[in-house]
Amino acid sequence: MTAMCDVAFLLLTFFILTTQFKKPDVEQIKPPSSISEKLLPDASLMTINATADGKFYFQPVENASERLQLLDNMGKKYGVTFDNKEKAAFQKVQAIGVPMNQLKSYLDLPDDAQKNFKSPTGIPMDSTNKQLVDWVKESLAVNPDYKLAIKGDVTTEYPKVKSLFEGLRDIDFLKFWLITSQEGKPNE
Amino acid sequence: MAEVQVQEKGAKGGKVRSKKQSTRVDMTPMVDLGFLLITFFMFTTTFSKPNVMDLGLPAKPKDETKKPPPTEIKLSNSISLLLGKDNKIFWHQQDNTSLTDQNLNETTYDREGIRKVIEQAKASAADKSKFTVIIKPTDDAVYKNFVDILDEMAITKSEQYGVTDLKPWEKAIYDKKVGNSGAAAAPATK
Repeated sequence: MTAMCDVAFLLLTFFILTTQFKKPDVEQIKPPSSISEKLLPDASLMTINATADGKFYFQPVENASERLQLLDNMGKKYGVTFDNKEKAAFQKVQAIGVPMNQLKSYLDLPDDAQKNFKSPTGIPMDSTNKQLVDWVKESLAVNPDYKLAIKGDVTTEYPKVKSLFEGLRDIDFLKFWLITSQEGKPNE
Repeated sequence: MAEVQVQEKGAKGGKVRSKKQSTRVDMTPMVDLGFLLITFFMFTTTFSKPNVMDLGLPAKPKDETKKPPPTEIKLSNSISLLLGKDNKIFWHQQDNTSLTDQNLNETTYDREGIRKVIEQAKASAADKSKFTVIIKPTDDAVYKNFVDILDEMAITKSEQYGVTDLKPWEKAIYDKKVGNSGAAAAPATK
């Protein structure tokens, strides 16, 4: 009994320490199922979420100092400067779903408001305004080893996805992952 | 395990009588809780990782002159899949002159539908090593269709496939076909 308890609590400690809780998604996205059994690797990953109604969210890598560089680069590109409070907010942000000109006011929102903020537009991604691709491009400029995963909803319209793929081809970023769910477990 | 020696003072006089009373703490609830937590953490760690599928896009030719010459794929060696609206899928092995709305066949995404079609086309291909599947998602298709068909490529082990846009002549037939079969036929304006 004693030995078993010791082992059990050792395991418990191990699992508690190694668990990383999934952060809540900004919007509910139900990825399509596939037979692929490959799991999402642990590499420094940025994620693009495409919601059912075709809005894009960009989730930068976790690394806080690299996020800062990314924000700086994007700010320079679009002529926006951020103060320290906004920079701190950007380091904690889960996913961005606003165009650059609204990013500043989004980062100024208090934490709870940010979590519940549902962007009416998402990040613009069309033939004239490719901010989403710029996010990817600037992230790669910070660290070329970043990997990209795309999480689309079952009902995302294909033209939206196509414009994203075309944009990624334009910047020669050709290898990425599509997040799917295991076949037969469509809700996971 | 944890044993606590409790000293009890006797009631009689100053005589200290230590009663041998072993107070073993009942650990069962704690252990129960421990195992419950283990189970919880074990499940959460394994399930939080989503599955992924690889996707590599072809590089865009930067220069028009460096473009590789258009590769001609024999009709019998290829099959075109049109991903339509409302989870419909159409296939054909025709070119722009011979395609009509009769030989644009509709099938389904399940095992009996598209998988058989691809396997049959593969089996009857003149040169199996060059058998190519051309995937043409229409603007009415949804992301799920695209992933489903990539999945189908993995299942049927069709390693040569390409994703491209509909040709105008295909689109005309597709519109006609969808307009005929669907009650609420909206003209494709996208």
